[in-house]
Amino acid sequence: MRSGDSLPPGDLPRQFASRTELQATLRQLFPEAAGDLSPIRGGRQAAAAALAAIDPGAYGRSRNHLDGAVTRLSPWIRHGVLSLVEVREEVFAWLERSGQPPQAAAKLINELGWRDYWQRLWRQLGDGIWRDREPLKTGHAPEHYANALPADLLEARTGLACMDGFVQELHTTGWLHNHARMWLASYVVHWRRVRWQAGARWFLQHLLDGDPASNNLSWQWVASSFSSKPYLFNRDNLERFSSGRYCRVCRAATDGTCPFDASYEQLQAALLGAPSC
Amino acid sequence: MLRPVLWIHGEALGPANPALVAHPGAPAVFVFDRDLIVQADLSLKRLGFLYECLLELPVTLRHGDGAEEVLTFARRHGADGVVTSAAVDPRFEALRERIAAQLPVQVLEPEPFVELPEPLDLGRFSRYWRRAEPALWARAGAAAPPVPARRWDR
Repeated sequence: MRSGDSLPPGDLPRQFASRTELQATLRQLFPEAAGDLSPIRGGRQAAAAALAAIDPGAYGRSRNHLDGAVTRLSPWIRHGVLSLVEVREEVFAWLERSGQPPQAAAKLINELGWRDYWQRLWRQLGDGIWRDREPLKTGHAPEHYANALPADLLEARTGLACMDGFVQELHTTGWLHNHARMWLASYVVHWRRVRWQAGARWFLQHLLDGDPASNNLSWQWVASSFSSKPYLFNRDNLERFSSGRYCRVCRAATDGTCPFDASYEQLQAALLGAPSC
Repeated sequence: MLRPVLWIHGEALGPANPALVAHPGAPAVFVFDRDLIVQADLSLKRLGFLYECLLELPVTLRHGDGAEEVLTFARRHGADGVVTSAAVDPRFEALRERIAAQLPVQVLEPEPFVELPEPLDLGRFSRYWRRAEPALWARAGAAAPPVPARRWDR
């Protein structure tokens, strides 16, 4: 921190010569906090630039692809740097400018609706978002799920290029594409059979947009305590929406050990127990 | 309230914060809550992102107990109350109560994304969306376009 600062006792510094200096100061202030700064910058200026760059039409067409035109606005929305109202108005302004029909922006408006929905639910449920909303539909009792995340996952050495890549990205940048979050969450809960709460807490440690409501209720959706059935995916699905980037370099993809290389019927039979009702 | 201070929290770090809009120039404080950071084991990435957001706001930064720090800041400025914006996190209400035990606290509501009549059925997103979607598009002067639901969207 700059020596020129003359702050009242206990006030934290506000002037830094560089991000490196900011990071060094934060390490002193919060010695318990692990890791480095994210390459994604906080602040209104960065948020405004990201908002100006949105393309709701392309978003609607490509959002489920890892390379799709997603907005990446979530960290700033989560902390109110951008309000949902502001983003909504920007989307409507884009429609007017572009002359596109409302349909072109429908997916993005829908996704903003998800954010609003999670917040309304949180207001209603409070800390209840940490408890199962409904019984699991996996055929496994809650006590059959581990309480802690396995070390190989946290160290990004599962041997599965996709999952290890997602973990590294989460730990390094604090942001993951929504589809990657779903695949990773499904792997944790259904393949590794870990309680969704452990995964939810882990995501909240790292995600810049870590919002307990959106995060926990989405984990519950994957786990099936807030949906009618568990969310499973297979290799075809992951390979398609990641343009094959992981499978191309993954040993498990070629030596027959990929745990996702199966039909949905086969995965259900292998991963889910007998229905409990 | 004649001389309020503003309590800024992590759900409202932008210019739409109704406390900042209502009281431009009033002393404002944000507290990095020691307990929350330790309990949630937050990474430096998250704290750094928050910090960078705060560096672009006219706000004093503190680290410690959320309620105590706001009260200390209010005393330092001779304030007769605290103005803040509504938050969804249940921790907010607990902090508000502790502050309100010593000083009046005014909570301002941000503009809602969509205004909907209560009670609202939130059992599933689809039930919420049946009410929200037409209201949203009415604002844009358009009818709600059909959006096919795809399971892996969420």
